[in-house]
Amino acid sequence: MGLDRRGFVKIVVGGVAGTLFTPVIWQSLDDVSIWSQNWPWIPRLNKGEVKAKAALSKLCPAGCAVKVKTVGGLPFAVVGNTANPMSKGGVCPVCAAGAQLMYSPARVKSPLKKVGEGKFEAIKWEDAEALLVEKLTALKGQNGKIAAINGDETGSAGEVISGLLAGLGNSGYYMMPGEKFVAEKGVKLMGGSGQPGFDIAGADLVLMIGADALDSWGTTVANQKAFAATRPTGAAATAKFVYAGPVLNHSAAVSDKFLPVPPQATAAFALGLANLLINAGAVSSASDFAEYKALAAKYTVEEVEKATGLKAESMKALVDLIKAAKSPVVIAGASFGQGAGALDFVAGASLNVLLGRVGSGMTLLPAAPKAVAGATSSDKDAASFLAEVATGKAAPGALIVYEANPAYALPQADDMAKTLGNIAFKVSFSTYMDETAALCDLILPAPHPYERFDDALNPYGVAKPTYLAGKPVVKKPVQDCKDPVDVLLGAASKLGLSLGFDTYADVIQAKAKALGADFDALAAGGIWTGEAKGGSLNLGASALAKVAVAKTDDKTLAVAPVSNQANGSATLATPPANLLTVRETELSGKDLIVQMNAATAKKAGVAEGNKVKLSAGKGELKARVHLNEGVAPGTVAVLLGFGRSAWDEFTKGKGDNVYKILTVSDEAGTGLKVWAGSTVTVAKV
Amino acid sequence: MVIDLDKCTGCGACMTACQVENNIAPMVDASNKMRTLSWMLVFELSNKKSGAEAEVAYLPRPCMQCGNPACVPVCPVIATEKNEEGGIVSQVYPRCIGCRYCMAACPYHARYFNWEDPIFPKGMEKALSPSTSARPRGVVEKCNFCHTRFMQAKDKARQDGGNPEGLADGAYMPACAEICPTGAISFGDVKNKEHKVFDLAQGKDAFRLLEKLGLNPQVYYVSKREWVRKLGDNYAATGKPGAAKKHS
Repeated sequence: MGLDRRGFVKIVVGGVAGTLFTPVIWQSLDDVSIWSQNWPWIPRLNKGEVKAKAALSKLCPAGCAVKVKTVGGLPFAVVGNTANPMSKGGVCPVCAAGAQLMYSPARVKSPLKKVGEGKFEAIKWEDAEALLVEKLTALKGQNGKIAAINGDETGSAGEVISGLLAGLGNSGYYMMPGEKFVAEKGVKLMGGSGQPGFDIAGADLVLMIGADALDSWGTTVANQKAFAATRPTGAAATAKFVYAGPVLNHSAAVSDKFLPVPPQATAAFALGLANLLINAGAVSSASDFAEYKALAAKYTVEEVEKATGLKAESMKALVDLIKAAKSPVVIAGASFGQGAGALDFVAGASLNVLLGRVGSGMTLLPAAPKAVAGATSSDKDAASFLAEVATGKAAPGALIVYEANPAYALPQADDMAKTLGNIAFKVSFSTYMDETAALCDLILPAPHPYERFDDALNPYGVAKPTYLAGKPVVKKPVQDCKDPVDVLLGAASKLGLSLGFDTYADVIQAKAKALGADFDALAAGGIWTGEAKGGSLNLGASALAKVAVAKTDDKTLAVAPVSNQANGSATLATPPANLLTVRETELSGKDLIVQMNAATAKKAGVAEGNKVKLSAGKGELKARVHLNEGVAPGTVAVLLGFGRSAWDEFTKGKGDNVYKILTVSDEAGTGLKVWAGSTVTVAKV
Repeated sequence: MVIDLDKCTGCGACMTACQVENNIAPMVDASNKMRTLSWMLVFELSNKKSGAEAEVAYLPRPCMQCGNPACVPVCPVIATEKNEEGGIVSQVYPRCIGCRYCMAACPYHARYFNWEDPIFPKGMEKALSPSTSARPRGVVEKCNFCHTRFMQAKDKARQDGGNPEGLADGAYMPACAEICPTGAISFGDVKNKEHKVFDLAQGKDAFRLLEKLGLNPQVYYVSKREWVRKLGDNYAATGKPGAAKKHS
């Protein structure tokens, strides 16, 4: 029997119907769609119990009190610690990427010894420690031959390093530049002593002069929390915030008022404000009030307008705001956390004295007890030290670098790197292969913050003595690293010195005990706070008499380095997880983008998108121009954190480093090296 | 979700937390915004004035989880759905065929296409979050209000003897809202009167983006600054502030 037409149609229809009703085809399609996406190179998720452990995350300069979430013991995310009064559940963008940074490709994986230009070989820890001891032994007892640069302002590691140097008969202990160092100098000029603090949470008006307090100045997250508490969503604000500085930055974006003030004119702005306040009836019982009043009188609204471009109405409106406030506080600092002079600080702080806010809005912290008996403090910063090395005034044979990156983050960075390179033996204790580590003869890998004990005493900006401490979140570091302080204590022992401790954990526990704090409670995410000391300050009139406003012309512009915390810091290149936060107006491919307002661009002869070269001293920076009306007149804003020459594929070679074009000058009357008011020439290329 | 633009400093912590929570692999050239995956993206807005008159605002943009989403009806394989699962617009990666119709349809540019397989630096896969599977090349992805957290919150409510369909305010919080250091992002059930966001979304300064399109976005913004609200297109329907603020 043959297949007739009817039979053929039946088979086809039956086949189609059968196909539609059978699950095989649909299941197969589903499987194909799943398995075509299920390749072995697509990473699988980790399994296990999810826990959250308290940690001190010192990836940002101030340090965040956080909780690190782990799955099966492996850290994978960072959340805020709501129980900690400093962070109150907030986390900065750098610490938010903390878990991923444990696996950063830029991590130093084992001790490395330099064997040629840019070439290193991995060595064993015993050999590395023996080499360190050998070099230190050779220079022991010769003052000036061993130096150390410390980039950690808050940790007790500084006590061990300075104590070790003192034990070796050397006094060359230097801190990387920061606000704290300059502010303490400023307080001295005002007849006081100690680290100043600022009570943002208790203020109903916060005037930030230069200081980017809501993004990168001081204890950023605590500042942001204090700000947030005054701004309940959907209700009236209970405090005013005003930002006066060179760029409409993150602090200015949420402030009630932004006043564009070029970086070299912040002291003039503060004194102009003082003049208006005195004219409005402000008086002070400070001994130098008459002198201060006479000095401030020179800063008339016309003079201030000449220096800053601000109109009289803007200044007067600010005076009205201050007069209406019951508890104002003024915070002065550099827009990027370093390089400002003590006079800039004094000019801002004098407003707190004038407003009668010393002891409440602006506080002074008492000296903290030391854990290490022989510890000293630094009387000079690393920039001044390296300037002396460059001129031959200092000639160290060995340099210890701890958590610092002076080859990248000091003014005229290329010169600084060259000077560093000329020191005979350099050892860097660093978690990451940064620009300074790449220059060193020996690199000793330090653990990531979640792999080590560490502490933070009085991060700059806190209104009360404050102490935080943390212990490792993980049992074993990801890389073959050792705690730098443990290594230094071991070296001290081999050199015949006893600093009184065997490990950094012992040092921190002793520090906690000396303060009257409970280490275990701190390590569980707690905090210790003390009381600010009393005392008064004068207005710093005799120091302020030397304030000078640097002049710029059509050919030179003031540089305003801008610090966005998400982009990392001097000691941390932009974390891979933060690269998304970099805007099109900040980086385009490998081109850094600098910003200036349209009028400034016109004067400089450049336009949107132009490629330009900024030059100052021996340094040059290449970039493109973006017009931004939030930049003060005569100023070019340059974002920090780019132009890395070490690190990893995520950051190396992207953009350019603004530190290359910052130039150092001597501040009149204080002897400090300053670079916050650097100027550059701009040329189209 | 209600985002207070007057509190957002633009720090980017929300973007980082989102990337970490949702296992978005870091890109070597993240300045190429045509290729990046930004489930949460913080835009910079300017009032275009200069000097002391200049103002900027930062606008975090997650997926709007629209009540009437434009992306859902255009999907030929039902890889994206709007259901009662918290009102979240889902994205089923294994079902997605990568046609990108949904990307073309979304007026908020909240959807992203995986041009590459997720490549994490060696070892960094150990820091993957257990919340979200890594997506392969060729599929579209987007913010889902950290949906795993929603499921976990409901599980916890069940374990604790509570009502998983009526979670307490704060029981479920996406990573961006949890980490924000200024508390600019408030999160809750916008239909639940006991949740803070219910009132916030009806405040006089609340608005939504591109309301005139009728997509009923579930992300509300708050700003006391009129120029910011104007940029959100709140004025489009009536020319007057405060228009079109209905819950649905």
